Amino acid sequence: MDMEVSRIWRDPELWVKALPSVILQTTCFLAPLVMTFILTFQKTQNFQLNWTWNLATWTDVFTKPHYWTILGHTLFMALACVVVCIVIAFPIAYGLATRFRAYDSEIKVLITFAFITDATLKTFGWVLFLDKKGAANYLFAHLGLPQETVAFLFSDWATLLGMVYNLLPFAIFTIYLSIDNIERSLILAAYDAGASKFRAFWEVTLPLSRPGIWAGSVLIFLLGVGVFLEPKVLGGGKSPMSAELIRQTFETRVNWPLGAALTLVLMVVAIFVVLLFSRVAGMRKAGA
Amino acid sequence: MNHRFESALANVILYGSMAAGLVFFYVPIFTLIAFSFQEGRFLTLPFDGISLKWYGALFQSGPALNALWNSTLIAVVATFVATIVGTMAAIVAVRYCFKGKRAFQGLAGAPLAFPQLLLGIVLLLWFSVLGRWFGFNTGIVTAIIGHVVYIAPFVMVIVAVQVYNFDPVLEDAARDCGATTWEVYRHVTIPLLWPGIFSAAIFAFLLSWGNFYITYSLAGSTRTIPTFIFSGIAVGSSPLYPAIATVVFIPGILLVILANRFRIRAAAA
Repeated sequence: MDMEVSRIWRDPELWVKALPSVILQTTCFLAPLVMTFILTFQKTQNFQLNWTWNLATWTDVFTKPHYWTILGHTLFMALACVVVCIVIAFPIAYGLATRFRAYDSEIKVLITFAFITDATLKTFGWVLFLDKKGAANYLFAHLGLPQETVAFLFSDWATLLGMVYNLLPFAIFTIYLSIDNIERSLILAAYDAGASKFRAFWEVTLPLSRPGIWAGSVLIFLLGVGVFLEPKVLGGGKSPMSAELIRQTFETRVNWPLGAALTLVLMVVAIFVVLLFSRVAGMRKAGA
Repeated sequence: MNHRFESALANVILYGSMAAGLVFFYVPIFTLIAFSFQEGRFLTLPFDGISLKWYGALFQSGPALNALWNSTLIAVVATFVATIVGTMAAIVAVRYCFKGKRAFQGLAGAPLAFPQLLLGIVLLLWFSVLGRWFGFNTGIVTAIIGHVVYIAPFVMVIVAVQVYNFDPVLEDAARDCGATTWEVYRHVTIPLLWPGIFSAAIFAFLLSWGNFYITYSLAGSTRTIPTFIFSGIAVGSSPLYPAIATVVFIPGILLVILANRFRIRAAAA
């Protein structure tokens, strides 16, 4: 069935429906991005923006290794978060699509609620749980484990835990959707052809769920490079990531051009990494 | 490998990871709920006693109630606008064929994959520069605009699924019977899309209600629940904050259940 109703762009109805989004995202997304780019060529004096064109900010960005070290650390954390999220999300999504038919709706409600609840609250909950005198150590002490078994709050591990926690649902949702769309008959055909369960999974289900894995990875990576709450609250601000650096540049140093430049560098590098990975994945597929 | 062993292993992995996943998701949530009943002043275990006194303190705390009111106001207005904008965008993105459709989908959905803190900062720069030219400050209005930019794409995606499953022949039939464009919308399109629109609106409301990053950048001196909590995150703070969290969870879970009902009804239609 052809879902699309062919209409030409002169149709006034199309304009009425498309314009609000176009106006909104042009004036409040594209235009601000363009202005951010323009701002990087200006100067600040006495905490005030000064409209004089110059390249000082960009020379600063490209000569100080400090910014790039932080950027490298951010990319590494985001990639680690992607890997952990996919590994955890896959069996959950696969189970949700194949095993839990009876409780399907309840499980979705539970995951959605955990996903949509205010990130500051959940992060605060983790602090209370992981603290030296927190819930985890209290429980473990009652189980007879040594004092302060859980002592990784305010480290990169805690940051990673917070990132995985907050971004995991994106992977579960995208992988679930792609597994749910696989025709059951394809798997049955594999069984008919004599494949074991494991083999059918490996040769049919896993390759067909690749779009979901890819979509989840890209989303998590792009959102992961911008996290600020987790490194600040769970990581204790000890090894800052790019978002924290950018926030400080704006708020503490009040250097708008530099903050704008660091924002753009982060986005451009992140998108470049995504394109690089999609190129590599594409080549591997073509080679196979 | 033998067949039964394979099945058993698969079941152990799948049931086990689901159970572990759900526990993982609810660890911080239940920790907060537990700490809200702490009688003493400090957020450490063991508790001094169990009491509801911090809930009483919460309902007498001016800043907390004010933050709750601001969150709700921003979320209601932002949801209303974003639902209209996002629904229309969903219809355009699925039902029309035109040059530049890809560009439209990309533009209307772009903020979905943009880190929120950076979106907030980029918008803060924009409003600060515009504010200096036209003489306004950031506050509730700029926060609402920021929220709309962020949640309208979510509405678009959720409603688009519904539009995709809906047969355009129904609209054509109504039109053939002499209905005007408005009547077709009023009596056919909107009623059929309603469950999807409603669950998208609930989702949008919750995303806006619990939004930290954009509010943090754009709300000026206005405090909402997330920014209020952020200012109090520390083990040294009082059980007032876990109490706020618990109060916020109740409408949250109820709305998610309601949205799920609508989603199931939408799928059945």
